[in-house]
Amino acid sequence: MPILNIQLAAQDPSGNQIPPLVALQQRGPVVQVSVSVEQNIAQQLLAQGVPLPAPERGFALIDTGATSTCMDEAAAARLNLPAIDVVTIASASHASTQQNVHPIQIEVVGLPITISAPRAIAAPLAAQGLVVLIGRDVLQHCTLFHNGPAGSFSLSV
Amino acid sequence: MAALLERERTFYTAHEAEWMTAHPGRFVVVKGERLLGAFDSMEEALAAGAAAFGLQSFLVRRLGEKQAEVNIPALTLGLLRADPQHPAGRSGS
Repeated sequence: MPILNIQLAAQDPSGNQIPPLVALQQRGPVVQVSVSVEQNIAQQLLAQGVPLPAPERGFALIDTGATSTCMDEAAAARLNLPAIDVVTIASASHASTQQNVHPIQIEVVGLPITISAPRAIAAPLAAQGLVVLIGRDVLQHCTLFHNGPAGSFSLSV
Repeated sequence: MAALLERERTFYTAHEAEWMTAHPGRFVVVKGERLLGAFDSMEEALAAGAAAFGLQSFLVRRLGEKQAEVNIPALTLGLLRADPQHPAGRSGS
């Protein structure tokens, strides 16, 4: 079972190093990922000679408060991902919205960790500097250890 | 982004009970007003949908599975960058 261990490092606007425990508190458990079309779909497309779009890279935030994994909707459009369903997301600040659901594959950059998220919800994440929000539909298959004092976290998939 | 699959969802709703009797617990793939088939897993359903429709959108649902409520507080409440350690300053103070 591959294990991802990350201790956050960050700098303030003046270039001073921020302690890992502060960086983890401020940024949350984030990891660099590469997002592409779900592997079963990708295999079919390759068999048909259809070129696959280049993966989208960016940060994923592990969010234990989210029932479902989300993907940035602009990145989903660039990947030309098919929608396989539509869900309604309630909001405290405005009317509920209908969002598309896409099948995606998430790879952790630099590590042999691949996560399948066949029902990722399109959402405007880019403004938050994120390409993916990893929710409990994925985390139900993982072990997550959040070490606040050390400013680190571990994820095994 | 505009929501898709309106025809497919309407067609699914109209036929869900009938398909549920024939294929309980299986994953169905719907395109337009056509049932492509019922499959044992999500992976098989996605592969069949992509084989038939490429990168076009198609509906995949598991028969008998209630559409779960989606709850993403960080997104819906705008909490992704909330920081109570640094509250916003009061205007005029």
